[in-house]
Amino acid sequence: MSRAAADPGQDGPRAGGPPLVDFHDVTVAYGGRPVIWNVDLEIDAACLFGIIGPNGAGKSTLLKAALGLVPMVGGSVHFFGKPLREVRPRVGYVPQRETVDWDFPVNVMDVVLMGTYGRLGWFRRPGARERQLARDSLDRVGLADLAGRQIGRLSGGQQQRVFLARALAQQADVYLLDEPMAGVDMRSQEQIFRVLAELKAEGRLVIVVHHDLRTAAEWFDRVALVDMRLVASGPTAAVLTPENLQRTYAGHIDVLEELGRAVATRGRTP
Amino acid sequence: MTLLGLPYNTLVVAVGVAAVGFAAGVVGSLCVLRKRSLVGDAAAHATLVGVAGAFLATGRRDLATLLVGALSAAIAGLAALLLVRRFTRTRDDAATAIVIGVSFGLGITLVSGLPAWGYANSAGLEQFLLGHTAALTAADAMLLTGVACFATVVVTLLFKETTLVAFDAAFAAATGWPVLLIDAVIVGLVAVMVVAGLPAVGAVLVTALVVIPPVAARAWTDRMSTMLLLAGTMGLVAAVVGVLVSAAWPRLATGPLVVLAAAAIFGISFIAAPKRGWIARRLRDAARNA
Amino acid sequence: MLFGAATFFGGDPAIHGWAMATAAVVAASCALVGTLLVVRRMSLLGDAIGHAVLPGIAIAVLAGGRPGGLFVFVGAVAAALLTVWLIQGLRAAGGLAEDAGAGVVFTTLFAIGVVIISAAPAGTHIDPACVLAGDLTFIPFDTVTIADRAVPRAFLAATLSFAVLAAAAVATWKLQVFTAFDPAAARAAGVPVAAITAGLLAATAVATVASFDVVGAVLVVALLVVPAAAAELLAHRLHVMALIAMALAVVGACIGYLAAWHFNTNAAGMIAVVLGLEYIAAAILAPDDGVFARAFGRLRLAWRVAREDRLAGVWREEESAARGRSAVAAPSLLERCAAEWLRIDGSLVRDGGTWRLSPRGRRDAETVVRSHRLWEAWLGRHADLPLDHLHPPAEWVEHHLGAAMRRRIEVETGWRQSDPHGREIPPEA
Repeated sequence: MSRAAADPGQDGPRAGGPPLVDFHDVTVAYGGRPVIWNVDLEIDAACLFGIIGPNGAGKSTLLKAALGLVPMVGGSVHFFGKPLREVRPRVGYVPQRETVDWDFPVNVMDVVLMGTYGRLGWFRRPGARERQLARDSLDRVGLADLAGRQIGRLSGGQQQRVFLARALAQQADVYLLDEPMAGVDMRSQEQIFRVLAELKAEGRLVIVVHHDLRTAAEWFDRVALVDMRLVASGPTAAVLTPENLQRTYAGHIDVLEELGRAVATRGRTP
Repeated sequence: MTLLGLPYNTLVVAVGVAAVGFAAGVVGSLCVLRKRSLVGDAAAHATLVGVAGAFLATGRRDLATLLVGALSAAIAGLAALLLVRRFTRTRDDAATAIVIGVSFGLGITLVSGLPAWGYANSAGLEQFLLGHTAALTAADAMLLTGVACFATVVVTLLFKETTLVAFDAAFAAATGWPVLLIDAVIVGLVAVMVVAGLPAVGAVLVTALVVIPPVAARAWTDRMSTMLLLAGTMGLVAAVVGVLVSAAWPRLATGPLVVLAAAAIFGISFIAAPKRGWIARRLRDAARNA
Repeated sequence: MLFGAATFFGGDPAIHGWAMATAAVVAASCALVGTLLVVRRMSLLGDAIGHAVLPGIAIAVLAGGRPGGLFVFVGAVAAALLTVWLIQGLRAAGGLAEDAGAGVVFTTLFAIGVVIISAAPAGTHIDPACVLAGDLTFIPFDTVTIADRAVPRAFLAATLSFAVLAAAAVATWKLQVFTAFDPAAARAAGVPVAAITAGLLAATAVATVASFDVVGAVLVVALLVVPAAAAELLAHRLHVMALIAMALAVVGACIGYLAAWHFNTNAAGMIAVVLGLEYIAAAILAPDDGVFARAFGRLRLAWRVAREDRLAGVWREEESAARGRSAVAAPSLLERCAAEWLRIDGSLVRDGGTWRLSPRGRRDAETVVRSHRLWEAWLGRHADLPLDHLHPPAEWVEHHLGAAMRRRIEVETGWRQSDPHGREIPPEA
């Protein structure tokens, strides 16, 4: 993959520039009730970045807010120092596997081609170039021989790799992945991780929402611990301390939950 | 001029309704795949208000006028659905049922009030309830054909965009596509096809034209494009069968016949389709257990 | 004339009374059943059943049953259960989504019903138009004599079905509530969930058939769903919701009937319209989360925030002055209005060109400032936020903290006396 070489360094990851991703005071609410409070986080170098936290901590919500999929009630997110709409093609996304209907009448190739639609724009159909790109992406995730298969007839791990291939076809500089390892067999996990490590080696930033603490420590260069608010962020070893984990997994979210209720009803807590 | 013993007018009407059946199957496929199968039903039941309203407002009974009224009412019904979702905590299924029941009630109120309010020549509006193609003219058939072609062309142009949104709206939004706009196009096309289907199938049953052929077509194929073509063809066949049978047997409204033809196609597909049919599944299960 | 208009039988009040009473009773039956359908997200199944009972009724009538008679009830219930069985079968055997399956099944069954009726020999007591929109016209004339009084047969059938449905509802209410609230837990607790659900579907069929003469097969969905959905906006307990739904249904049926009489049009359609208006009124006026209540809640919060901000602003000005720093940012127009209000209220005193806090105002102001600084302290300790990012969230949260929460935060921040900026946290008043 040679995009980085093709247009070298244009706003790309470089020292001294704006951070690759900048969460500024992000607060997100569902139905008026905040589920993520004041997350403030800058990521300024290409790396494998894990967003870690317990179930219901708002990790995926944070990712969706960054992509503009759920509205923020406060704060902002910038990529490469710019608002998302100016740099959409440079941001790749892998949603959770359960969010789509796998019985949909498309095959693996069709899905991967969807990664090229953003650059194609209205009305234009994918051509030979896009097909080649999709084949290369499938090759990278080890699914080249399944291109013609209906997506429902894949294993969970293969489905996840199809989603990853679709994101690769986006040719982005920052990748956001929502629980890519959930419900995935070991072989697929390794394959996915290998591709993510390659992306990092190419100078891209890979942000992964992840729930498994054991693997987090060995996979990610940097992590953020999130439980309705940002508990800590930084180099993995420095962040995953017993004290921080205690604050994340047995933290004080009941305060935030009660407060969230009060905010949603425009009243006061007891 | 006759063909197969059928008068010219019946043949022309059959062509027009066939075109509508085709386009409804194509558009309906998008709607069913987007998991909005019954949106068309809400739009359909609202059309009656528009038919009566257009007649009251203009005093005209030509098909184009009535269908413009029907389309406005269908869109108003869908807007009401959006308002209920946005401003109340009523759940989607109840919201759809409310729009269906109340808008149809208003339509019935208007249609049955017309004679008493001095509109003696309102008879004929009831053909929009269960569909009756006998009264259609060649010009009406041309109009329906035109609408059907328009809808088919829009789907062809936006095939990539609508497929993307139907499959994975979150990814579409994350990659910068205006999901709301594309959804509006899908639902708008469904409203258009429901309205175009009114003269032949009627407000109560026209939803079948956008639901049954896509569901039947899905049994035969795993490719989106094939499914759209197949659903269109099945809709076309059902429409033609309905028109011809009701031409031969005028006591029967066209709508129920179209629906029964579509249901027969669905039944065959559901049971006998290779791979996804019931028999194929049973055989597979048996083979796996053996 | 396509649909019966209510004027058909002139102005005899007794006749209108019977027709209206019949409409009211079937509306109440439908609302009772509809309450459970709506909370169990089965509204569209109610719609499907409404359509799908038609072939059951048609076949029963062809086989010699009498509209409103027991045989027809049995046919309709059978058709309703067949509908649900087909929809569920299509989902289980073909992976068909419930709404798509419903779309296939109810249109097909309804089409079968219409074809049977259209093809049936004349004089079989079913009018195709009545199928769509009901017809109250003849109801008062088809009577049976009870205790020397002529009572319309449809009214008797409606009352009887209402009594049966109400008795069944009372007898199984607890189980219905449990099943509606959490079917999995109910099943685990030994509730016969499948039987309860089948009973609800049969009840839907009974209510539908009972209202068939009055509203027809299409409009019955309005009776089933609209009053129940309106009641859901007004009540939080299921039995209250059911009672409100029935009251709305009866009122809607009576007003709708009278309006149809007045405007010379079909009564069923008008009843549906009136029920729709009731729903709109409920959506706008509902006390907790109606459109008005929410707008009012927003305004009230904005006003409270303005008052509290003004009080805290004066308090901070005093604090800055004491430390010899310059004043805080100028208040907005809303806050200046709030200041005037607080003066009338006795919380602020105007002293020449400056505002001062009265003892009461000081207490309130200190509560707000305390909330603000406590929250900064909590965030500083429990969230990874830079020091200069603490103020905006606290500016927002300070208006939502109650006394108990402030105490808890105090504990969780280790009884700190000052916020992360080093300013003193005022003590609880």
